[in-house]
Amino acid sequence: MERETFISKFTALAKRIKQTYGVNLWLVEVLGKRHSYVAGHKEDSFLPPEPIYLNDRFAVVSNEWEKIPEEERKQLISSLKEDLLK
Amino acid sequence: MFLNFETVEAQSLANRIIKENEIERYLEKGRDFINDEEIWEKLNKHVEPDPVRVREILAKSLAIETLEPDELAILINVKDPELWEEMFATAREIKKKVYDNRIVTFAPLYCGNLCINNCLYCGFRRENRVIKRRVLTIEEVKTEAEVLAGEIGHKRLIVVYGEHPATGAEYIRDTIEAIYSVKVKTRRGYGQIRRVNVNAAPMSIDELKMLKEVGIGTYQVFQETYHHETYAQIHPKGTVKHHYQWRLYCHHRALEAGVDDVALGVLFGLYDWRFELMGLLYHARDLEKKFGIGPHTISFPRLEPAANTPFVQETKYKVSDEDFKKVICLIRLAVPYTGMILTAREPAHIRKEILGLGIVTQTDASTKIGIGAYSDRYTEQELERQQFLIGDPRSLEEVIRELAEMGYITSFCTAGYRCGRTGERIMDLLVKGRERIFCKLNAVLTFKEWLDDFASEETKEVAQKVIEKEMEELKGMVPEGVYQKLLEYYQRIENGERDLYF
Repeated sequence: MERETFISKFTALAKRIKQTYGVNLWLVEVLGKRHSYVAGHKEDSFLPPEPIYLNDRFAVVSNEWEKIPEEERKQLISSLKEDLLK
Repeated sequence: MFLNFETVEAQSLANRIIKENEIERYLEKGRDFINDEEIWEKLNKHVEPDPVRVREILAKSLAIETLEPDELAILINVKDPELWEEMFATAREIKKKVYDNRIVTFAPLYCGNLCINNCLYCGFRRENRVIKRRVLTIEEVKTEAEVLAGEIGHKRLIVVYGEHPATGAEYIRDTIEAIYSVKVKTRRGYGQIRRVNVNAAPMSIDELKMLKEVGIGTYQVFQETYHHETYAQIHPKGTVKHHYQWRLYCHHRALEAGVDDVALGVLFGLYDWRFELMGLLYHARDLEKKFGIGPHTISFPRLEPAANTPFVQETKYKVSDEDFKKVICLIRLAVPYTGMILTAREPAHIRKEILGLGIVTQTDASTKIGIGAYSDRYTEQELERQQFLIGDPRSLEEVIRELAEMGYITSFCTAGYRCGRTGERIMDLLVKGRERIFCKLNAVLTFKEWLDDFASEETKEVAQKVIEKEMEELKGMVPEGVYQKLLEYYQRIENGERDLYF
């Protein structure tokens, strides 16, 4: 999938999650130790950030993963991983 | 071949290195954003500022909004000492609002002093024959990093390179990787360099993409002077550095390459400081306008003596200590969100005075700027292997203790760029005054790490009081869940875990 298309899809997903659970998600590009902000929420709840890696290039970060039901979280990550393979 | 710098054909290199299309794309109507006449016109227009207008501008700075050039020109022209006191107080308040009470520390690591340029003020200039030339091998770079991370306790470096084919983008990439690979056992945990910032020559977009791939921290390039004519005079023709716009737009290229932390600076003493301040503001504003991201930090070094470099003594633009304090205050007011770096170029007493103003955010310590100096462990400065003489060679521990006695907490935080608090996201957090919470939380954790691994009992005693005060303040600033997490992390660090952050 094209980078811009993927970012748009992520942005829409992040928006939905925020509306439903009040959780901030942001997408980062992994470059050595640097995790560069790409898209998603700019707000933060001040809890420790936890990345979930989609592949060796991208990760989704949140500090409130536990507020998203496990099944939905798994589905979200798996859908993003699949998009990156397209 | 590379060590014989006279054999390098600087002009042909300049032709190879400089890509005009990576300048022209940023110009507006064929011009760069520094209009010398316009700057002087603004500075001369506002010679008698109205105090009411000055206070309106201060309110804007306090709202963390970048100033307009006319507004900065007004502040520069203030003469009333009482108004200056208000300006310093506002600058202090802004720093606290954006970055809280912490001072981040780092060290410079010079990897090479070969240079194809011939800048009149620089000890490393090509024609300076008294300098001993050397480029560190990758193994030597690692050894330096091991001393910095394992014996001194630094977590953040600014790695410095001359402009030369021997220390080009590929060498820089390899050194960044080498430094990140270092992991050294310490008293209670382990030491690592977690953020590698780079001070190097302007590069092309492709070269900057290469550095982005290996996780460069901040890309720092100083314009030296924004005044076109002065720039041309002190950077001789036939050198790469003579090209003003190639340098001016290197941060634009970095941002276009995806390196989203860039740092500006001026070498104060080359031209009139008032003009240079205006130049810095125009630069920050152009980055904001084109990329939505301003400078991560601004540096304000003053010219210092260098071996066989008479220009330094001859310049008529030396900045006095009193004006230097004004420069620092004005940078904070003009670009309120930016990090500000005070270096060991300044003598200890000036550093103490300036840190006491509560405006700057970062400083270096245990500083050695000779090539290979950390692992050589030489204690005296050696001018023939240094770019200039540093003014404050005190150890990190001494600086930390002094900061603690002044009530500041030393921070080794490198969290932001490792969890996506970069680019427009960090800009948003800074401007909204939310980043200070992270600064405070991570300062406590990283300071605790350093104290456990490196501090003497005497320093621990002073520092512990600062930590307790910071934690008490945090209790009232963050939700209970966050505070509990802080306590948990604090305990885990006490038990030897490292690199826990918010």
